[in-house]
Amino acid sequence: MAELTYREAVGEAIAQEMRRDTNVVFLGEDVAAAGGVFKTTTGLLDEFGPDRVKDTPISEQAIIGAAMGASMTGLRPIAEIMFSDFFAVCWDLVANQIAKTRYMTDGQCSFPLVLRSANGGGSRFGAQHSQSVENWAMAIPGLKVVAPSTAADVKGLLAASVRDPDPVMFFEQKSLYAVKGEVPEGEHVEPLGVATILRPGTDVTIAALAAMVPRALKAAETLQEEHGVSAEVVDVRCLVPLDTRTILESVSRTGRFMTVEENPRLCGWGAELASIVAEELFWDLDGPIVRVTTPHIPLPSADALEDAVLPSPQRIVENVKRLVD
Amino acid sequence: MNVLMPQLGETVAEGTVAAWHKKAGDEVAKDEILLDVETDKAATEVPAPITGVITSVLVQEGETVDVGTVLAVINGPDAAETETETRITREEGDSTVLSVTMETGVVEKLPGDPPAAAARFSQAGQRLKLSPVVRRLIAEHRLDAQVIPGSGRDGRITRNDVMAFIEAGPGEVAAPRVTEVSVAPAAESAAPGVQVPADRPRPAPAQPAAQTFSDGDRVPFDRIRRVTAEHMVRSKATSPHVLQAVEVDFSAVDRVRSRYRESWRADHGFSLTYLPFIARATCLALRDFPRLNGSVDGDALVLHKRVNLSIAVDLNFEGLVAPVIPDAGGLTVSGLAHRIHSVSARAREGQLTPDEFTGGTYTLSNNGSFGTLLTAAIINQPQVGVLSIDAIKKRPVVVESPAGDSIAIRPVGILSQSFDHRAVDGSYSAAFLHKTRTLLEDKDWSAEL
Amino acid sequence: MSNEPLEGIGLVSADLSDTSGDIAYIDTETRLRLYRKMYECRVLEQRAYDLFMQNLVKGTSHLALGQEAVAAGFGIAMRHDDYTFCTYRGHNHTYVRGVSMSAILGELMGRECGLLRGKGGSMHLTSVEHGAMGSYAIIGAHLPVAAGAAWSAQYRGTQQVAVCFFGDGTTNIGAFHEALNFAVIWKLPVVFVCENNLYMEYTPIEAVTAVKNPAADRAAAYGLEPILIDGNDVDVVYETAGAALSRARKGDGPSLIEAQTYRHGGHSRADPGKYRPDEELKAWLARDPIPMYRERLVSLGIDEEALEAIESESDTAIDAATEEARNSPPPPVDIAHIDVWADGSASWRN
Repeated sequence: MAELTYREAVGEAIAQEMRRDTNVVFLGEDVAAAGGVFKTTTGLLDEFGPDRVKDTPISEQAIIGAAMGASMTGLRPIAEIMFSDFFAVCWDLVANQIAKTRYMTDGQCSFPLVLRSANGGGSRFGAQHSQSVENWAMAIPGLKVVAPSTAADVKGLLAASVRDPDPVMFFEQKSLYAVKGEVPEGEHVEPLGVATILRPGTDVTIAALAAMVPRALKAAETLQEEHGVSAEVVDVRCLVPLDTRTILESVSRTGRFMTVEENPRLCGWGAELASIVAEELFWDLDGPIVRVTTPHIPLPSADALEDAVLPSPQRIVENVKRLVD
Repeated sequence: MNVLMPQLGETVAEGTVAAWHKKAGDEVAKDEILLDVETDKAATEVPAPITGVITSVLVQEGETVDVGTVLAVINGPDAAETETETRITREEGDSTVLSVTMETGVVEKLPGDPPAAAARFSQAGQRLKLSPVVRRLIAEHRLDAQVIPGSGRDGRITRNDVMAFIEAGPGEVAAPRVTEVSVAPAAESAAPGVQVPADRPRPAPAQPAAQTFSDGDRVPFDRIRRVTAEHMVRSKATSPHVLQAVEVDFSAVDRVRSRYRESWRADHGFSLTYLPFIARATCLALRDFPRLNGSVDGDALVLHKRVNLSIAVDLNFEGLVAPVIPDAGGLTVSGLAHRIHSVSARAREGQLTPDEFTGGTYTLSNNGSFGTLLTAAIINQPQVGVLSIDAIKKRPVVVESPAGDSIAIRPVGILSQSFDHRAVDGSYSAAFLHKTRTLLEDKDWSAEL
Repeated sequence: MSNEPLEGIGLVSADLSDTSGDIAYIDTETRLRLYRKMYECRVLEQRAYDLFMQNLVKGTSHLALGQEAVAAGFGIAMRHDDYTFCTYRGHNHTYVRGVSMSAILGELMGRECGLLRGKGGSMHLTSVEHGAMGSYAIIGAHLPVAAGAAWSAQYRGTQQVAVCFFGDGTTNIGAFHEALNFAVIWKLPVVFVCENNLYMEYTPIEAVTAVKNPAADRAAAYGLEPILIDGNDVDVVYETAGAALSRARKGDGPSLIEAQTYRHGGHSRADPGKYRPDEELKAWLARDPIPMYRERLVSLGIDEEALEAIESESDTAIDAATEEARNSPPPPVDIAHIDVWADGSASWRN
């Protein structure tokens, strides 16, 4: 085991995969010489050279289009979109082309590519550089969607995403880049489509994603110590494919379900989970399903404002208390 | 509104009811003192949280209960009934515990007609918030939501509360007290039927006397057995049962069954039995004899608009359930065959939802698979009739014709109805049976497939 | 304001005279192949029109009647393992890579024998085994994709070339500019071919473009030579294609070619094309690439019988293909639920 930061785990995963398979190539803005604006990919250019690690102009459509064309002709490209908000600039290539072409061509091509980006708020970058856009991807059939919460999961899930034969949208949470964690050394791959129970409990199931996971864990501690409530925390990790089995099994034991989502309210991934639980576990519910989310507003930039609207451990605790009464 | 055991100190977990100042049925004003509670450290008076009438007192003087336990229930001026609880309490028919009516204010009511009492109670009662899992558990275990202590906010019954209540077992609840009801001798029968003198309900013992058997293996009742036993005792205690039977010649039905046997099996994957035909004939006959599709409510008979047919299904000797086919009166033989097949299969696989057990208005009980002659079934409360279908066998029958009498071999079976003599008399029941038989023997059944 | 038809052959890039000797002249066999390909494209596209009028082709269909020379010229010049990317007006471009007529007609009619078994439709014809890497229905999207395929060929060192066909309207969309810049800076082996049929859907391209020749006049912005040719002269197309392909294969980077042409019908089936002036239409119809080429071949001494044989064989082939496609049943419904993912499944949960 090594201690790595979340951002170091990104580079380590890419390096691991590029060593293993010469078809893996990597492109993006400022990713090569500069090692990425978030310093996630330092050292890759030195190790693998300019044929495999390539800086591009500011051309999101070209970056994604090139990744698509390369992946359908034998390569396994990783493309970086600097801020996940910028997917809006090249959304045609993602949603209309990459996601649908295998299906439309009756399975003639596949797209083993990874589109990774820095997602989410908490860094005071303002509304256009702080969005959590996993739900945009979740809503399009044909895209796999991954959002790890720990350094170990970054390494394991990014490796799995590169090896996956389908297009994967890999969302790194920028506010977690500096967080350290234990990361297995050597080859490390985590399967996609598996949610993990990070903290077992009996009174309520809390499902969280990415930066909300540590907040849910903190809330669970407070709930146990100060209120005697035992919360089970599930890290969803992968929105598509979705591990509904783990979540349903958990709620069937606790009888109560809550989601904690960084995205703005409407159509967040928690709404889909709430719908599944309400439909398939209705007769096991001992209380209403509650979603704790950022309100449906663009994110403000000032610290005091941003912190007030993103879900906090305190808000999670309050919502659970009301739920278990 | 629930009156809860208060917390008398920061570290205190329980309290004792020292003295009641009011009793069930009393009116009380907000803040008027209801009772005294105490611990070994402190004593206090508990005021009424709202103005209203005390509908039940659940914890007696001298009893010690956990903080938060419901001590009493007050019905305020704007309480409303919920459909949910009405359905649950009425369909459970379980009023083994302290049913209380607003009108009489009596703590223990003679359960001469417990379903009615329960229904009236819940009409007068408060709005109970029952979560889906709580509703399901209550339905499965045939409990009365009114008497389960709730430890949630505002006395809400949580899943844990129900599980704890179930764990505590039926010994906690008082058995019904039964009055002797004398039954009028059976009226003359209008048709060749059989009548059996009515049962005399015996007083059910509140608790069985402790009998010890020195030999034999003791097999404790499981949950289903316990629940069934309670239900049967209560039903007999509630309804004066009369048994009446007719013999039916099933050759007309049989002709149609034979003709369609192969093609039906091939098209639908299951066999076409006698039961859907009998179900259809019963539904049609109930149109002409609607009192048998009713429920007794106090001193009135409620005639249900639709026939919701309960089909008794035996779960491989492990218990009896009676899922309901709603609005069976609107289905043909074909439709009934499908619904009966579906609901029986799902009952055996434990896939029925709580809603499928509720709302039945008449029951069919198919007992013929072991060759029995007739069965005096027990009525499924709060219905007033149940029809048992026993073995259908080839028998010699006399066929009358202008040319003279002869003997023919026909498939014959006995349909035996147990009816509630409060609702109808023997002649009505017999006429219904006659109609049913006539339909089975004379209707053009091929038109229904 | 109408566009005047070209006089003479038109401008050809100065670079062409520098190309290697592998296309010094066009031999008879090649010429006959060019003629056959154009003729087959014509009967195929005409049949698609007829079937649409009989309500057997559903949805929409974008015909390239009149634009056969570009498809045939490039199709014959390309290597079998080169990649083609084209737009929704792509029946001919797909056909010339070697896909059967019945597979194309079947797809237009939504039948099981269709190239995509009815899952994609007219606008998405694809045959990876033939190098036809897709027809794309969003303007401009496939230009960067073609660049990506070229990058892949460059990385793998196979000397494959990606050829990307698009219309005049595409030159005004963002992806066009991104793709060209991208291809030039990485020196990618991709040939961008703009078929300028003078109309962006219903609007004359001149009215909405800052420059007169929508592709050729922009080449300089990307450091590329302007190449403007008569897209209805299949010999010119063939020679230009060969030169650009050679350049790319050698590692000298991309080309941008503007081929002027004209479509006989409207933008799509729904459009009778009545917004074009009569004289313009008449003049271009007189420059129909197929009769024009036939005349040239005859004047070059090629036996008319050979040409007639090509024509009757094509007519027979299209009839047989039509019959096959008409007799094919609709696809089984369960294929709607497969092939979202590479393993053939469509499930998003367990």
